[in-house]
Amino acid sequence: MTTFTPTHDVVAEATAAGFFPPRHTVEVTAVRELTDHVVRLTFRDAFIASHAKPAQFVNLFTHDDFMLMPRPFGVSEVEGDEVSVIFAVIGHGTEQLAQLEVGDTVDVLGPLGRGFNLKQDANYILVGGGLGVPPLVYAAQKIADMAGSVATSVIGYRDAHFGEEFVSRYTDRSFSIDNAQGNVVDLLNQLEQSGELYVTDHAPIILSCGPLPMMKAVAQWAAERDMPAQLSMEQRMGCGYGTCVLCTVDTVDGRLKVCSDGPVFTREQLGWGE
Amino acid sequence: MSLTTATTAARQTDKHINIYEPHEWKHSTKVAGVTWKNPVGTASGTFQYAAVRWFYDVSQLGAVSTKGCSPIPWEGNPSPRTAEGPASNLNAVGLQNPGVDHYLEDDLPKLKKAGALVVANVAGHCDDDYMQVVAKLADSDADMLEINVSCPNVTHGGMSVGTDPVALAALMDKLRPMTDKPMIVKLTPNVTDITVPARAAVEHGADALSMINTVLGMRLNIRTGEPIIANKTGGVSGPAVLPIGIAAVYRVRTALPEIPIIGIGGIDSGEKALEYLYAGANAVEVGAAALFDPVAPLRIARELDDLLDERPELAAKLAAGKTWR
Repeated sequence: MTTFTPTHDVVAEATAAGFFPPRHTVEVTAVRELTDHVVRLTFRDAFIASHAKPAQFVNLFTHDDFMLMPRPFGVSEVEGDEVSVIFAVIGHGTEQLAQLEVGDTVDVLGPLGRGFNLKQDANYILVGGGLGVPPLVYAAQKIADMAGSVATSVIGYRDAHFGEEFVSRYTDRSFSIDNAQGNVVDLLNQLEQSGELYVTDHAPIILSCGPLPMMKAVAQWAAERDMPAQLSMEQRMGCGYGTCVLCTVDTVDGRLKVCSDGPVFTREQLGWGE
Repeated sequence: MSLTTATTAARQTDKHINIYEPHEWKHSTKVAGVTWKNPVGTASGTFQYAAVRWFYDVSQLGAVSTKGCSPIPWEGNPSPRTAEGPASNLNAVGLQNPGVDHYLEDDLPKLKKAGALVVANVAGHCDDDYMQVVAKLADSDADMLEINVSCPNVTHGGMSVGTDPVALAALMDKLRPMTDKPMIVKLTPNVTDITVPARAAVEHGADALSMINTVLGMRLNIRTGEPIIANKTGGVSGPAVLPIGIAAVYRVRTALPEIPIIGIGGIDSGEKALEYLYAGANAVEVGAAALFDPVAPLRIARELDDLLDERPELAAKLAAGKTWR
């Protein structure tokens, strides 16, 4: 436990006073290895479960006095009062999180950021790459509850298609490709030509999350079709709630904070594909 | 993990504090004649009202020191701007801010309306920049000014002034006549002897000193061999810098017995705030801890308020504008 780990129910205290919950401690309810380096972690948090919007993220903190920075992850699924995230083990922080076991605790802050705008009934095309997939799974989960909308996922993976099990629970149609086969833009073109992309009268809206070059290519693809695109960005982050100004992205409106002005930006805001 | 164990043991004996309940502050302090309702403020750079207001009532803090303010909007450094160190964070924001006019129209009135005691932090790339900002803040509602001559992440101004006592003295000679507002000078630890710039600032008109700004640092990515931060170097903050800040306060207090000092660096608990007060600080500011929990500054203020109950001699000195040493 660090100095920052609360010793009592601070969520109840904060919300009773009309404030957003601070960092608090939650119980891990499931940990699953999806590949040799990708892990799905589930924890119990009624506040986040009931408030999180797709592409919003949570800051996870281990109880380590020497490694204090939060690890931000997009919410991947919500079931009851349980919240899941999916992440790759890339360093000491994610390694510690991957080693958590059911019944362990972890500290969390969230949900944070501005999520996807899903107000419109639409033909949502979820275009993702690698570890950009988890927020799209949650978007698919929410769109599945919108009677007038359709969700189609078009996902690129480096190798293992680890997200398909989850995204296919909620999408009307799921398509994926890996590096050996091509990239997501190839797949988008194929699906467009085969008539599998525009299956409703609703206008298509792209929701995308993935590596920067992929999202730039997707924004270009959308721009060529005059299609709206909402892109969920990633950046090395500090606080996650807008106070430290460490995670900026260059936009047509200047340098904005990925954590609190985003992580979702439109392709017009980013000036991509124009 | 002996540190972890010790911290846990210390905190388990803490009594339950609900930071959201109304609280009558028991122990005030005085910095350059300005009474703070408690000795804990936020450090400049890690406080944005628009972000923090959702988490707690900022008027409960002793003071808030706002993000460095420049004469025109600054876009700061390119990304990535941050890396992690052991018990620390590195940042190289480069003082991105929307400029003093926006500050006067937006942040400052909102903070004053919310009931906060505001320390307006002043940034510049050259003397003229600092003068333009101070001129505009001179007649504002800001309660105190803090002159940032210690940012390690800008190529002109910032630390380049704070490490040169002659340049610092010249800058203060220009700023001092411009306002009667209490003027705090924020010092950098990236010097051989911090009492030298401290003395220069005080002899040329500083009403108080705050220390420390971040410690110059760097991390590399061992996969690429290249710096993680786009600016290459950044400023280290967080619990790791606590002893550096404590030593700075102690040495300046010894050299300059009368000057009010705000201690900054690595404070994440009431105990560590107390340690700064014993080193000779009149007040403290909490910085990086807000990255690890948004409500850390208020929690620390409440912890300190209780710790001072058991230390009436120290509490009485602070309330009278004096310090332990």
